[in-house]
Amino acid sequence: MKPLEKFRSWLKVKGRSLDHFSFLVRRLAGIVLALYLFIHMVDISTILLGEEAYNSLLNIFASEIGLIFDIFMWAMLVFHGSLGVYSIVTESGMLLEKRRYLLYIAWIGAIILIVFGSWVIINVLEV
Amino acid sequence: MKYRLIIYRYKEGWDKPRYDTFIVEADPDESVLDVIERISLTQDKTLVFEHACHHGACGACGMVINGVERLACITRIGDVAVGNTVVVEPLRGFRVISDLAVDKSRMFKHFEKVNPATLEKLDEPPVELPEYVVIPREKLFDCIECGICYSACPIANTLEEYMGPSALAIAYKTALETGDLKRILLADSKNGVWSCHAAFECSVRCPVNFEPGEKIMKLRRMFLKSSLKLLLGGSR
Repeated sequence: MKPLEKFRSWLKVKGRSLDHFSFLVRRLAGIVLALYLFIHMVDISTILLGEEAYNSLLNIFASEIGLIFDIFMWAMLVFHGSLGVYSIVTESGMLLEKRRYLLYIAWIGAIILIVFGSWVIINVLEV
Repeated sequence: MKYRLIIYRYKEGWDKPRYDTFIVEADPDESVLDVIERISLTQDKTLVFEHACHHGACGACGMVINGVERLACITRIGDVAVGNTVVVEPLRGFRVISDLAVDKSRMFKHFEKVNPATLEKLDEPPVELPEYVVIPREKLFDCIECGICYSACPIANTLEEYMGPSALAIAYKTALETGDLKRILLADSKNGVWSCHAAFECSVRCPVNFEPGEKIMKLRRMFLKSSLKLLLGGSR
């Protein structure tokens, strides 16, 4: 199988179960978070260029696009964490009989946390 | 009712596969396999596919039907058709021999590595088998060896040397029934249980509810306990 086909087989969701979709979301969220870590390091490094450079970058993150970006990153973090906890439990061979219920709890918990976190980002953190 | 079957076609020597469309009159309760057999009999005799028992016991007719791995013999066409259309493709992760027939040796070669303790001894074969048939009179009890779990597993589709869901699940059965982890040490490796990323698509798609994903996780637990025992000065 060619590398691109291999990659596509991971991204394939048509006809796949919630279990597989969760696996995909967890993995992609992990990659996005790793990329964000890199962006974050670049972002805080601008302080070396002076206060003005750092502040102008902060202004981008404080804009509406920055807000959407923050909510997106929060969602990625929550999905990776919530589905990660499900993964830790099942991959340790525990509660395998209740696996489906755990997965539902992980998704419901994630959605509640994302909604709550988004509300906090929009209404509390927004200055 | 008229159904439109779009079937994957590939023959040795072709540069790339193609899809052929067949219009077939069929009852919604008929199996996809029955309809494919009718196409083979009446419309295209060169269509190649595998089948044997027609009741979900042999595992020969595993195919990807409208994007989902299923046994064609126990899948009613009316249940899977989308707007009267059914796309039939060979299982993923295996080399396509011809059309819908795949080479499952990639899966079978791992079975002997895990010393199955659940082999059912069969009667003497009615015909003399060629020498290259290694295990001519044995088959597994629980797993029907259809290969659907390999096709559904994202890791088996990515990592060629991964032992795969069914072989690892059989390893778990071996460990459980013999209590001897030494028989299946190969499963405690990078290409064994530790490559599984718990997508559990194998368990969802398994037509006999063998639950390979769950068994792999239980086997991991066994290996972890055994390693801990070793660390504390015990033996496997």
